[in-house]
Formats: sequence, C-alpha cells, structure tokens
Amino acid sequence: MDIGFIYNYLIASERLGIWIAAVLTLAIYSFLYKDNPIYRFAESLLVGLSVGFLLVVTFETTILPKALEPVAADFGRVFVKGQFGMIGSFIWVLVPLVLGLLMFARFLPGAGWISRISLALYIGFGAGASIPANMQSYILSQIDGTVRPFLTINNLLATVNAIIILAGLISTLFYFYFSKAHTGAFGMAARLGTFYLMIFFGATFGYTVMARISLLIGRLTFLLRDWLGVIS
Amino acid sequence: MDFWDKIRHLDRRVIFILMVLGVGIPLVTRIGLPIRITPDVRRVYDFIEGLNPGEIILVSYDHDTGTLPEMIPMSDAILRHAFSKDLKIVGMALRAEGSGIGRQNIRRIAGEFGKEEGIDFVFLGYRPELTATILGLGSSIGRVFPKDDRGFLIEKLPLMQKVLNYGDIDLVISISDDDTPVYWINYANARFQAKIVPAVTAVMATTFFPFLNSHQAIGMVAGLKGAAEYEKLIGISGSAGRGMDAQSIAHLVVIGFIAVGNLAYFLGRKK
Amino acid sequence: MRRSFPIIVCFAFGIVMLAQFFIPSGFSSNVRSEITDWAQIIYASALIVGIVGLMKYHAIRISRRSDGWFYNLITILSLVFMAFIGFAFGRMDGSPFMWLFNYMMAPMQASVFSLLAFFVASAAYRGFQARNAEAVLLLASTVFIMFGIASVGNSIRPFSDIAVWILNNPSMAARRGIFIGVGLGTIAVSLRVILGVERTYLGKE
Repeated sequence: MDIGFIYNYLIASERLGIWIAAVLTLAIYSFLYKDNPIYRFAESLLVGLSVGFLLVVTFETTILPKALEPVAADFGRVFVKGQFGMIGSFIWVLVPLVLGLLMFARFLPGAGWISRISLALYIGFGAGASIPANMQSYILSQIDGTVRPFLTINNLLATVNAIIILAGLISTLFYFYFSKAHTGAFGMAARLGTFYLMIFFGATFGYTVMARISLLIGRLTFLLRDWLGVIS
Repeated sequence: MDFWDKIRHLDRRVIFILMVLGVGIPLVTRIGLPIRITPDVRRVYDFIEGLNPGEIILVSYDHDTGTLPEMIPMSDAILRHAFSKDLKIVGMALRAEGSGIGRQNIRRIAGEFGKEEGIDFVFLGYRPELTATILGLGSSIGRVFPKDDRGFLIEKLPLMQKVLNYGDIDLVISISDDDTPVYWINYANARFQAKIVPAVTAVMATTFFPFLNSHQAIGMVAGLKGAAEYEKLIGISGSAGRGMDAQSIAHLVVIGFIAVGNLAYFLGRKK
Repeated sequence: MRRSFPIIVCFAFGIVMLAQFFIPSGFSSNVRSEITDWAQIIYASALIVGIVGLMKYHAIRISRRSDGWFYNLITILSLVFMAFIGFAFGRMDGSPFMWLFNYMMAPMQASVFSLLAFFVASAAYRGFQARNAEAVLLLASTVFIMFGIASVGNSIRPFSDIAVWILNNPSMAARRGIFIGVGLGTIAVSLRVILGVERTYLGKE
C-alpha cells in the first residue's frame, strides 16, 4: 500500500474532505459559545496552513522564476558553456537576488542594518510611483468629477445633486483641517462635514452588515447543502 | 432589573441564535424575492455585452478565501457572460490565496463552455507587490509573467501572442476583498488608461462611488447583491440569487435588533 | 553610512520612479520595468523573512514552554507540513496541497470571517443608539442602505431610489473628501520619505 493509493482512495474523496471541512467549521463556530481549546486548535492550524501556503506560492511564483532561474541560466551560459561575454548580464541578474538576500541580514547580529538598503530601495520605489498616481487619481480626477457636472447641467435634480456633492466635499475637507479651531463659520462648515461623514459611515456600516451576512450565508449553505444535504 | 433593562442586557448568544435562524430558515424555505438591477452593475454588463468575440478581459483575483461566498458568485457570473460571448480571459492574482481560487474557478467555468486553456483563456498565476505588478503589466505582461501558472512559457501560448500590455486588453476586472482595485485605478487607469471594473466585497463598495462618479471605473459589482443582479442580467439562477432571500430576511432581523435596542435604551432610560 | 547610504538609495530610486512617469520613452519604460522586478523580488524576500520570523517566535515559545505552547507547536507543524506537501507534490489542481487548501484552509478562513456576522448583529443591538443628531444620521443611513439595497425595500421604488441617491451623493461626497485628504497626505509623506526627512522606515540607530 503506497502513498498514492492512500491519497487516491481516501484523501481525494470529496466526502471525507467535506466532513473535515464541516468539523473545522463547527470548531471555529464553537467560539460563539466561549473561547475553548477546540477553537484555539483550529485557529492555530489555520495560521500554520495559511503561512505554509503563502511560502510555497511566493517561492514558486516569484523567487524561483524571477530571481533564481535567471541567475542559474546565466551562470550556466558563462561558467559552463564558457560564454564569458555574458558576464555583464550574469552580474545584472545577480543584483535583484542579492537585494532579496540582503533582507535576511536582519537575522545576523550586528549586520541588521544591511537589510535597510533593500528596504530603502523598495520604499523609494513606492514613494516615487505613488506621487503622480495619487495626484492624478485621488486629487485631479476627483476635483474634475465634482466640477464637471456644473458645466453640463440640464435639469433641476442634477443641479441640486451637484451642489450637494460640492457642499459635502468642501465641508468634509473643512472638518479634516485641524490646524484651525472649529469655531464660528469654519466650525459650522466642519459640523456640516460631520453630518456628511455620518451618512457615509452609516452607508458603509449598512454594506458591512450585508458583507458579513453574506459570509454567514456561505458557511450555512455549505453546512446545510454540502454536508447535511438538507437543501438542494 | 426591569423588563427593558433585561432586554438591553440580553445574552448575546440569544442574538447569535436569532441570526442563525434568520439566515438558515430562508435558505431552507425559498421565498424568491425580486431583485432590482442597479445602474453600476448594468454598466458592467452593458460594457461586456458590447465587446466583440475575441476581445480580451483581464480578471485579477485579489482576494483571500475568507470572502469566497461573495467573490465566487461574482466571478462565476462575469466569466459565464464573457465565455458565452467568446471573449478571451487572462486570469491572474495579486494575492496568494486568490491564485488557488482563481485558477480553479476559471477552469471550472471554462469547462462548461468547452474552452481550451492557452487558446481561450490563460491563468498567469500570482505575483506579490501590487504597485510593481500593476505598473509592470503596462510595459510587458510577459516580463511580469514569463510563464503561466502551469509553467509554460507565455510566448508559446496562442492567446498571449496577441497580448503584450494594457493596450491589448479591453477590460480589467479586479475581484477583491480590500482596496486593491484602487491600485488598479491609480496605476493602470491613471497611467495607462486601462478600463477598470471593481468587483468587490460589499464592505468596500462605498469606497468606489467617487471613482464611478468621476468615470475612473466603468461600473461596479458589489457583494452578493451585485452578483445576484449580474446573474439576473445573464438569465441564470445562481447561488447569489438564492442567497439573497436569506440576505433580505437577515437584514430585517438586524434592523429589528437596532429597533429593539433603541427602544430598550430610551424606555429603560426614561425610568 | 549605516543610515545615510539607505537614505541616498531611497532618494535615488524615488526620484527615478517619479521622473519616469513624465518621460515617455522606451528607455524610461525599461528602467521602470527593471525597478519593478527588483521591488517584487525584495517584497517576496520580505514575505519569507516574515515567515522565518514567525517560525522563530513560535519556536521560542515552544522551547520556553510558555502558556499555550501546544498551540504554537500546532502552528509550526501545520506550516512545515503544508510547505513540505507543496514543495514535494506540487501545487496544481488535484494535488494534496490544493486538497488541504480547499477542504481545510479555505473553510476555516471563511468560518473565521463569517463569525463577524454575529458580532456585527450584537454590536447593532447593543451599541447603535440614536443618542444625538449625528447618531440619528448614521442610523438612518444604515437602515436605508440595508433595507433599500439588499432587503425587501430593494423592490419598493422609493426606498431603493433613496438608498441609491444616498450612495451616489452625500455618502460619495464625504468619501471623495477623504480621498482628496488621503491623496494630499500621501504626496506629502512620499516627498518627505524621498527627501530623507521621514526616516522611521530605517528603524532605530
């Protein structure tokens, strides 16, 4: 009896999988009664499996094809096939691998500062890329979207909506300006901003309730349909 | 403790049981409440409906397994619509767990339509780091994904020979449970004018209304309700539509909790 | 040197990424592609560093027999097992790796998230009181959205229309204000980081 047999006839069975999934689901739900060892066991198992999954997928989809394989290929060309003219290419593909390995320097006592080099490159990359993206997407396009309706107004409802949106935008920005005390006319504008924000938070909470209930529907559907067969 | 005080301090396990009943009973006894289509979902449907056979949609699975009950119905409905119109699908994932889900999902739906991997659809796999990946696709998809998820060189895949970057993609759909579609809008749309549709969990829906209003996104499919609307538009009875009965009743239960909670607060306070 | 060299690296790459946005040429595009490749590899390496750090944390707790160390052992064993199965047998559809993903990891993850439905209901019952004007607005908005978008009110025209109007007008306006604030703040912080004024990412001396 080899592992293939065990896998094919036992583990690959969907029925066994559904039972295991159902038991683990109920183990997690036992937390609703109170915190207990069964829940903590399931939680620890989930953390371990999730991190193991992330490790495998990250290594096989990114580190291997984008760092290790190019280095191995150029190493073979330069040092095995003797194409020494490719040495420049080999050094160039070594750079990202070295940058990645530098991150592990934080585990070496006294050498942790070396990992700052890779981190600084990444932070600089993100900061530089985000400036024009934020300016275009978060600021210019949003202002355009607020002002443009005033240029193409053709009915009363559209006008009222455009004014409501403009008032909401300005008053919300007033609210978030904390360098001046919220008093007088400024304070009134900030308070109007508060009202708009409350409407936004209420709408978000309504959608949040919808989202969470959807997740519960998914789990109950699994238990009632796939596990118990109560619903079709 | 008087009656309203007892109501105010009701054991939360009673609330939990009422929630289970509020969701479970409609699941067992189907009601069939009507679903009204919202403009945002209709715009997504109309855009895909307007594409010609052979045109390409990039579907990015940017979510974890925690939100599958919302993500899978959305993905199923959109893929069924796309495959029924002979559109080509390029799948990818910006989250590790999304790669496992997306790969299985696309293959399952493609199988229903007899579509062939490499010709009608491709799953490129997972790449970490949103900004780098989304920006990289603007230059060369082949550079970001030299191989597909099976390990085949993408330059050898018939479908990918005509897809170099965003210029060859007609629509990008980000199926996400967080603000990843904002990155697609910030980088793919702002920089490369890619057309973006966020298909998001309901929690994130309110985040995208400003982008819809300023036409940075074509439309939006939000939550189980959005998936149910899309199923209605493509004329199928799917899991989202069936789940909406439970959703509707559960919402009434929560509104009831809010009402009773406020009643208990005010009447208890008056004494 | 230990702090100044990383600051110079941050400045250099920040300026390059900022400049390439405004330079539409093949060279600029190639530079961007190269840097994005490097950033992806650094990010992936950082993920693995994080995983190693996590294993170190759990291993220390196990070695010290800290309170609840058995659960730390479960975490490490399941992590190692999942990684072994993935590397040894592959991660394609139908593999033992994907079986563990589909029948253990995904159901547990979905169950943990679905617990929130119960806590949201409990929070709505206990904490959602209309104590003042702002709370009334919050409450009204919540009820209109829940009823008008995803409940029976969805098929009753006035409720559905009011809910859609709220989402596309006052709610959207507030979110837009937040976005503009976030955009301005992000640009300010990014400039500070690139210019070396903001150095918290370097950690302690």
